[in-house]
Amino acid sequence: MSLFSRLRHSLHPRRLDEDIAEEARDHMERRKAQWIAEGLEPEEAARRAAVAFGNMTRIQERSREIRLWSAVEGTLQDLRYAVRGMRKSPAFTLTAILSLSLAIGANTAIYSIVEAAILRPLPVPEPGKLFALTSPDVQRAGADTTGERANESFSYPMYQEFRTAAGGSARLGLFTWASVVEVQIPDRSAPIETATRQIVSGDAFEILNVPPAVGRVFSQEDDRTPGGHPVAVISHEYWRRRFHGDAAVVGQRLRLGTGSYVVVGVAREGFTGVEPGKFVDVWLTAAMSGKASLTNAGWSWFRIVGRLAPDATREQIQARLQPVFHTFMEDTVKRNPTMPEGIRKQLREMALRVRPAEQGVSEFRQTFAKPLWIVLAIAAGILLIACANVASLLLARATARSSEMAMRISLGAGRARLVRQLLTENLLLSLVAGAAAWLMARMAAPVLVAMLSSENDPVQFALSMDTRVLLFCAAISTLAAMFFGLLPAWQASGARPMLALRGAQGSAGRLRLGRFFVSVQVAFAFCLVITGAGFLYSLRNLFLVDTGFDSRRVSLIQIADEWPAGESHRRRDFMNQLRTQVAALPGVQGTATAPWGIFENNFWTEQIVLPGKAPSEREELFYRVSPGYFAALRTPLLGGRDFQVGDREDPKTKAAVPTIVNLAFARRYFGAENPVGKTFERPKGSTAIRHEIVGIAGNAKYGDLRSGPEPMIYLPIDGGGSIRLYVRSALDLPSVVSTVEREAKAIAPGVRVRDVTPLETLVGNTILKEKLLAGIGGVFAALGLLLAAIGLFGLLNYSVARRTKEIGIRSALGAGRSSILGLVWKDLFAMLGGGLAAGLAGSIATLTALQTLLFGIRPADPVVLLTATLVFGSAVLLAGTLPALRAAAIDPMIALRHE
Amino acid sequence: MPSPNSTQSALDLLVLTILGRRGPLHGYAIANSIQELSEEALHIEEGSLYPALHRMEETGWIAAEWTITENKRRARMYQITRAGKKQLASETQRWSDYSNGVARVLRLA
Repeated sequence: MSLFSRLRHSLHPRRLDEDIAEEARDHMERRKAQWIAEGLEPEEAARRAAVAFGNMTRIQERSREIRLWSAVEGTLQDLRYAVRGMRKSPAFTLTAILSLSLAIGANTAIYSIVEAAILRPLPVPEPGKLFALTSPDVQRAGADTTGERANESFSYPMYQEFRTAAGGSARLGLFTWASVVEVQIPDRSAPIETATRQIVSGDAFEILNVPPAVGRVFSQEDDRTPGGHPVAVISHEYWRRRFHGDAAVVGQRLRLGTGSYVVVGVAREGFTGVEPGKFVDVWLTAAMSGKASLTNAGWSWFRIVGRLAPDATREQIQARLQPVFHTFMEDTVKRNPTMPEGIRKQLREMALRVRPAEQGVSEFRQTFAKPLWIVLAIAAGILLIACANVASLLLARATARSSEMAMRISLGAGRARLVRQLLTENLLLSLVAGAAAWLMARMAAPVLVAMLSSENDPVQFALSMDTRVLLFCAAISTLAAMFFGLLPAWQASGARPMLALRGAQGSAGRLRLGRFFVSVQVAFAFCLVITGAGFLYSLRNLFLVDTGFDSRRVSLIQIADEWPAGESHRRRDFMNQLRTQVAALPGVQGTATAPWGIFENNFWTEQIVLPGKAPSEREELFYRVSPGYFAALRTPLLGGRDFQVGDREDPKTKAAVPTIVNLAFARRYFGAENPVGKTFERPKGSTAIRHEIVGIAGNAKYGDLRSGPEPMIYLPIDGGGSIRLYVRSALDLPSVVSTVEREAKAIAPGVRVRDVTPLETLVGNTILKEKLLAGIGGVFAALGLLLAAIGLFGLLNYSVARRTKEIGIRSALGAGRSSILGLVWKDLFAMLGGGLAAGLAGSIATLTALQTLLFGIRPADPVVLLTATLVFGSAVLLAGTLPALRAAAIDPMIALRHE
Repeated sequence: MPSPNSTQSALDLLVLTILGRRGPLHGYAIANSIQELSEEALHIEEGSLYPALHRMEETGWIAAEWTITENKRRARMYQITRAGKKQLASETQRWSDYSNGVARVLRLA
């Protein structure tokens, strides 16, 4: 047979079957005719012809096998069957595909983020040779004290020493954090845009081995003279986006901050820096980062990423760099004679770490790696539920098809053949679901990333649904098909033809298997509901934390000005004027200024010295605020007075700085005494600055909702640094901004509003992790609940249908409606029991393991458990009611006649 | 490749021989010829001839075509192909070698 006709046959197997049958029929007709010619009765002739021919069905099967031996044909036929079966039961198909695609979609979406943020190596040659330097974070007061973070920043002098010490065994590159800066193209006459900037050492591109796409990248020559290399390299993505991929970009002028730069080249496509999650637009060289940052060993704001020489190991690098690091730490200790012993000890014993940096360095990863893995695990739980769900649906369906299976078996179909067909159906189901899931993941993943991103700290991933993600998707789908398909398929194909054909409904074993699947669903769903409730309550607890200020309707406005550093008095005067003028406007309840905002991850800590005592063991948190700050934020002043316009820290006079402390500070250093009027000193180099406490404020959170009340010291504003204006107003954000901008321009024409953030958003940004877990945990809990409810409903419904006759007899014998209902409920609770117990145990273990990510939740938290049980219980009742009512409505006459 | 002494191989040889000598035939006629030629020695179910025919057709030794026969009925006619003729020649050779061998063993035993 030609390939063509084989293909034709495989597309039209029915035609082939007819051919084979017709040939056989023809044969028997002829034989029969012969027997008749020999004088037999037609019936007898036909009988003899049939006997001589043999088992017609078996022979036809063999011919079929010969004709259509190719797997292609079999599969095609199975697929046709599968599609036909799907069309015949759309409710089943939709439910199954929906459950599976939601579950696979959730897994794929989260995996794609995990892949981009955690697993994907940097797009450079030999990323396995890259390493990053880190050191343990010093535990200081007021800062994040979870201990999960490592310090990744080093000073420029340290970098230079490291580079020398590493010698030939590694090359070290320098990278700052990527930061959003204002850019004007080509000069200051152009409108202001923003771009992400990173400062790197001249050899950074060479070390990473990133070639230019256009022009050139930096060389060491671009990083020699401080301030002498106004050149920039831009990313391929920025080049495309901003310059439309125009090769004439080389030579383009850019104004970044206060400097003007010339673009010398575009980096290779796909390279966006060493930090996954951040897309760098513009690179500058370290030489351009300001003299102080190049010489001051105390200014640690550079990351160091290096590449090992071919034969070097990370241990060797550590051994070479550690002495240098230790010397620097000793110097730091020596420079700060009053340093608390605790910190001194930490610094002296600190070991430099040389970590692999195949996947780059990432702050995002430090924060979100654990939550992401957890969310992925939750998604896997959903997938298991969905699989069990579909398996029980399939089981119920297999019962409906048992007579079809029996028919085929008695007609000679092999068991393997039937299993193959059933598996094909499952595979088709999961492939369709996989495709739908892929689409869903494509849409959902960017939304998830957006949840973790904020305006000031944008997070962006190249969430390419690439081969790896596709493979992941396909693998999950196939595994799902195997998992949920094999057992029901085996059972269905094991149908005993005689029983089934006689109309005896399914076996008890099948129901047992169904019960098992439902228990699995119940266990996982209950566990998910409890975990989800844990995360939701945890987030609620964070929202309910008494912050000590009222963030509602407060906006934090950043104002850009162009006064040189030496003229801080002008900035201070401007701030005072702006503050009072805006405060006088209608609709504004309060204003205040500060050099930076709270919850902006800016911590200024210093030691303090009480008169006649040793320097404090801890460093305490300092913050500069204007008069009116406490009123504007509604933090109570408990004693003394607020700042006044004349209050200031003047380095020329020796006058004590008027200072306000919070209650926690007062309790720690003055016990029950009233601190107002007391003084303390803050060491500054060899001298000290004297502070006089003039007021005492209530405790207020500064940078973190989780920590308890931390001591805090408020100082009067001095006009240094940048300007943040707090405005409490009932007006909407745009009107606040336009009002402030108008007032500001009226006072000083050169200033403008640069950035506006509601204070609530700033606070919210510190609990993104918790929001992610609560959001996804909550949604997944609901999803798991829904799936489990569907599973329960399906099995109960099936079990009622199976027992129609029994129930009919019972009610014919006088069983009341309530006892029939009780019958179904009993069935339901029998199914729930084991699952609930397992789920409860599992969830307590889960909550224990997740304790560090929860806030105010105990592993066996009664509120969480009670809520979860109530929610779960109502869903289960709902799922059980319909089948129960159906059972109660069974008419005994109809039921008995049914068989 | 079937071993030379299997029933299948024997059946193949018979079919090829018949088609080689008597030209295009339909299945019924082939079945009758087999019974006639082997004098019922090769006892097979008539029906099992068809899978064999289909297999040989797949292998390419014979070709088949639906035709309208003398009494206006559709019948599937089989005829031997060139590959079939070659196969027939080599199989015939093998069979005679084989039976000679067996005969010699029986003689000497």
